[in-house]
Amino acid sequence: MTAVAAVETVPLFAPVDVGIRAVSKAALYVVIASGLSLIFGLMGVLNFAHGSLTMIGAYLGGAVMVATVSAGTGGVARFVLFFLAAAAVFGLLTGIGAAVEVALIRPIYDREPLFQILLTFGLVLVLDEAARIVVELAGLQPQTEWQDAIGTAPAFLGARYDILGVDTRWGLYAFEALVGLAVVVAILLFLGETRYGLYIRAGSEDAEMAQALGIDIRRAFTVVFGVGAGLAGLAGVLLMWDPRFGASVPLSVETLLVAFIVVIVGGLGSFKGTVVAGVLVGVVDALMSWLFINVVDFPGLPELVLFAVLVTVLVVRPKGLLGVAEVGGH
Amino acid sequence: MSLLEVDDVHSYYGESHVLRGVSLSVDRGETVALIGRNGVGKTTTLRSVLQLTPPRRGTVTYDGTDVTGRPTHEVARMGVGWVPEDRRMFSHLTVDENVRIATPPDGDVGAAFETVYGAFPELEDHRDREAGDLSGGQQQMVAIARGLVGGNETLLVDEPSEGLAPQIVEAVADALSAVAAEATVLLVEQNFPLAMDLADRFYLLDQGTVVASGSTEGVTREDETIRRYLSA
Repeated sequence: MTAVAAVETVPLFAPVDVGIRAVSKAALYVVIASGLSLIFGLMGVLNFAHGSLTMIGAYLGGAVMVATVSAGTGGVARFVLFFLAAAAVFGLLTGIGAAVEVALIRPIYDREPLFQILLTFGLVLVLDEAARIVVELAGLQPQTEWQDAIGTAPAFLGARYDILGVDTRWGLYAFEALVGLAVVVAILLFLGETRYGLYIRAGSEDAEMAQALGIDIRRAFTVVFGVGAGLAGLAGVLLMWDPRFGASVPLSVETLLVAFIVVIVGGLGSFKGTVVAGVLVGVVDALMSWLFINVVDFPGLPELVLFAVLVTVLVVRPKGLLGVAEVGGH
Repeated sequence: MSLLEVDDVHSYYGESHVLRGVSLSVDRGETVALIGRNGVGKTTTLRSVLQLTPPRRGTVTYDGTDVTGRPTHEVARMGVGWVPEDRRMFSHLTVDENVRIATPPDGDVGAAFETVYGAFPELEDHRDREAGDLSGGQQQMVAIARGLVGGNETLLVDEPSEGLAPQIVEAVADALSAVAAEATVLLVEQNFPLAMDLADRFYLLDQGTVVASGSTEGVTREDETIRRYLSA
């Protein structure tokens, strides 16, 4: 396919198609990156295991849904079960994250950041291999999306609809956008209206000063690491129903890369920056994916452009769009 | 017994031995100045009291309790406020939030606002502005105010006049004078006349040790000891 020939076949409603995909991807990327953003912002810890927690969340959410949904389960009941599964996974991974912070991360705070990177990278290897073993023991293919879990979605989300001349999964994308919006609002309320949110915002700027004001910053670290891990799991539950992602072991690396791009482009220590960058990256990704499918025969186009955005931001504005600290200077 | 006692404290930055046996005491209600040239350990002494730079030897006792090696937040909650050298505002937080964060979880935020805006009425018009947008003098007022709330009985004040215009220094000095009338203050200040004016007693530091101390009454920069250790 040549670019010139392909342009002549561009659908009339291409902007609508790109728009709905961009909205859903932006929502997913914000949810994927939000936990990493909170942890990175307050603690300066590069949690490489973030993607692994998302992957585990996808499998755990999928397991709950597969175990509880039958052919006769109605659409509303499936939604209710989804939110119960999301709450359970969030709670479980928050607890696990808090335990990991206390047992593994806390003892190496006084060391070079390299130690934290090596530790969390080690966690990636352990968690991903453990997931691969469990998934294979369960008789599933670890490399491909878990279709049984995708199949537990209500028909409304699984079906394609032709609206405004665009035949796509309107229901799924709208659902993802709404959940993403709810997560963003919840986090903004947490950061803006609660005492712990205030601690996190202050600690992101100056953790030592926060301690000198009587704040137990170590406890705040534990809470934030736990909540960040819980949010990673929540993102996994949301991805579990989306055929573009689905529960699979490679989801770990796939989501980790996106999360890093969004957090760095948005700026360290700024959740609002993460939201803005999530939207930017979602729009760029959707646009480039559409170009690849319809115009340019180059499969790596979305990734290439996303990394170009990342490199450009690092060179031109190392603080990111709304960051409070430079990458590497936190 | 004094409210704050620092006894033979040795503190380091890495392998650099900064405090070499500092001993001092501050009585309840007193204002004590730490003076000396740049780099002699004044700021490190304040940081060691707060355990931000924990001493490797010696003890820090506050209100009869040995706080050496305790977490900084615990020392702060015992009633020790810190007004750091470069103010260290949470620049993305509003003035109100900077005050709120300094109030203990079980503290009365309304009372904290009353304390702060009563002491610094000028700040009340800027309550919802981000602290990073304030002038240097206003930021210093927020820094002092932050140290005051939460029932803090003691303030560790580090170079409050640094980088401020002379007329602003006067306003800050007035504010500190009012604070000193109510609280116990350990003050680090390069502005010698200001330090002598505010403090009841002084400790003169050189190369990480106390080389002189006494009442500030009648002390001038021309005194032999002061001249020897403060001249560049």
